[in-house]
Amino acid sequence: MAQVEIRNLGKVYPGKVRAVSGASADIADGEFIVLVGPSGCGKSTILRMIAGLEEVSEGDLFIGGDRVNDLEPGERDIAMVFQNYALYPHMTVRRNMEYGLRNEGLPKDQIAARIAEAARTLRLEEYLDRKPRQLSGGQRQRVAMGRAIVREPKAFLFDEPLSNLDAKLRTQLRAELRALHVRLGATFIYVTHDQVEAMSLADRIIVMNAGQIEQIGAPLELYQKPATRFVAEFIGTPAMNFVEARPVTAGLKIDLPEGASLPGPCAMVDQLAAPAHIGFRPEDLVLEPQDGAAGLRLDLQVMFAEQLGADTVIHARLAGQSDPVTIRVESAQNPAPGATMTAYAPNAALHVFDAATGQRL
Amino acid sequence: MQKRVVFRNTWLPYILVAPQILVTLVFFFWPSWQALESSFYIEDAFGFSREWVGLRNYTELFADPGYLKSFRTTLIFGLCVTFLAMSISLALAVAANRVLRAATVYRTFLIWPYAVAPALAGVIWYFLMNPSLGIVSYWLRALGYDWNHYVNGEQALGMVIVAAAWKQISYNFLFFLAGLQSIPKSLVEAAAIDRAGPGRRFWTIVFPLLSPTTFFLLVVNLVYAFFDTFSLIHATTEGGPADATSILVFRVYNTGFIGQDYGSSAAQSVVLMALVVAMTFVQFRYIDRRVNY
Ligand SMILES: Nc1ncnc2c1ncn2[C@@H]1O[C@H](COP(=O)(O)OP(=O)(O)O)[C@@H](O)[C@H]1O
Ligand SMILES: [Mg+2]
Repeated sequence: MAQVEIRNLGKVYPGKVRAVSGASADIADGEFIVLVGPSGCGKSTILRMIAGLEEVSEGDLFIGGDRVNDLEPGERDIAMVFQNYALYPHMTVRRNMEYGLRNEGLPKDQIAARIAEAARTLRLEEYLDRKPRQLSGGQRQRVAMGRAIVREPKAFLFDEPLSNLDAKLRTQLRAELRALHVRLGATFIYVTHDQVEAMSLADRIIVMNAGQIEQIGAPLELYQKPATRFVAEFIGTPAMNFVEARPVTAGLKIDLPEGASLPGPCAMVDQLAAPAHIGFRPEDLVLEPQDGAAGLRLDLQVMFAEQLGADTVIHARLAGQSDPVTIRVESAQNPAPGATMTAYAPNAALHVFDAATGQRL
Repeated sequence: MQKRVVFRNTWLPYILVAPQILVTLVFFFWPSWQALESSFYIEDAFGFSREWVGLRNYTELFADPGYLKSFRTTLIFGLCVTFLAMSISLALAVAANRVLRAATVYRTFLIWPYAVAPALAGVIWYFLMNPSLGIVSYWLRALGYDWNHYVNGEQALGMVIVAAAWKQISYNFLFFLAGLQSIPKSLVEAAAIDRAGPGRRFWTIVFPLLSPTTFFLLVVNLVYAFFDTFSLIHATTEGGPADATSILVFRVYNTGFIGQDYGSSAAQSVVLMALVVAMTFVQFRYIDRRVNY
């Protein structure tokens, strides 16, 4: 077990393809950290640099306080679970799990003890003598985890380990993974493109975009105080709504799209000096004006409503902009397409981002 | 899932495969039958008369020390050619697989020897190693090694082995490279994380996963060495010196066309046919089973 630190990490692939730049993060011992971001943003690249599978182009990498930039993967004392499981197809489950331990030269009885323990934890006892191709996807994934566990490494790395499984199994394995982390108390570094997975697993999340780290924080922190417009939009489903605000005369008059208005004072928006995006979450919108918290008033035309059971998501159009506005309301609501409605975003629910830089104001 | 075409007419599929069956019958089965038949006769040199002798051609064959020696020569030749051609091509393929981007250029260069006819390949090596003209023999002599494959039987055998292996390397290389590229990179990466060094990764992960390719090539190379190297030997050593390079296929030709002993030649062909059939059988029987993981 150990902390992992990346400092100004950068990666340029052959052919001058820049995948990551200036990534810094401190991962505490025993922390479950999730790297999340859209496909191609450089998550796997960072993970693979930590594993030693890709050379570090820039910056430094520390595991347990030691700089490991130039160590071979086998010398870093980490274990990795791959998206396609990467089980050795010609070896039995037992052999797969033993492989790393044999390479370490661990005594036979200790190997057997560790395998037995891992097999019990992961409910793999009856499959030990099978080949990987005789197992289901979920079982293979558990073998891959078993292969990592028996090594007792300083840190576990996961690269989208659940994305080849169906939704139900994914939810189940997510819970198992969380329980495993609690039981082992080891450092987990986990890559996914699925923000729901990230929110449900992580102690802290690293949100990435286009090769750079946008924000690092606890799931709720990211949800409540996204540092950039990108994070605001990426975290939460349905995604956050935005309207554009342009100051006409600095600090005096703010231009909003047709249909949106500010009935009362709103310090954050009133003082804007440059164009900005005002964001508000679908679940923060209310259909009645709230006294004392004037906020943003939206006059909308309903496009359609999705009834999801627990609640209903209304997709509506604001006259002055092409992006629709989504509203999450109680399931009793079911407005007809074409109907007009008014919704309010209280001041406290507004997130304001600079239009040019995307930074939170 | 297999795609199957269903024919409405039952005779149509037979008509479609008929040309191929016809070619096989005329050019393969008929000569084979002829060989089998003549192996039971002794025929005079001009083909005017022949006499039924039963298995005598065979009993004489296996009593002939020259023939038994040829068996041994063939075995040494076949095993050496196969081992040499496969190990060198595997090493080349592993190297090429590392530098994937350069692989296309590399691959193109390595295909060339395969386009060279066996006889020509033999002649190229024959010149390279010619005791009075050849550059290789010149180097060998510079190193203090006395090279003369006209006189030294072992050297002659060594030369045809190298020539035959050289010709087969490009073919093996292509298959090995394709085999290597079909092994998921993540397996080798997982092994690296599991503390296996490069050598161990190769022998415990890559090589076992390559076994279908290796087994296929093993059979192909043995068949090549045993049966396809006639023209190479014919163009270089002509089986000599003193029968040192007289492998079984060459002996068939020598006995039949030079010695004009058609019966014995036919019996030797039949023995060779039996060998091919046995090897093909092994290949079909084991390639799906033993090698599947
Ligand atoms: N081996 C490689 N060679 C060149 N470019 C690569 C290589 N691997 C990844 N990339 C590029 O680097 C970027 C980040 O890739 P990756 O880290 O795999 O993204 P993610 O895992 O977030 O989807 C992508 O634009 C991808 O095309
Ligand atoms: Mg990835």
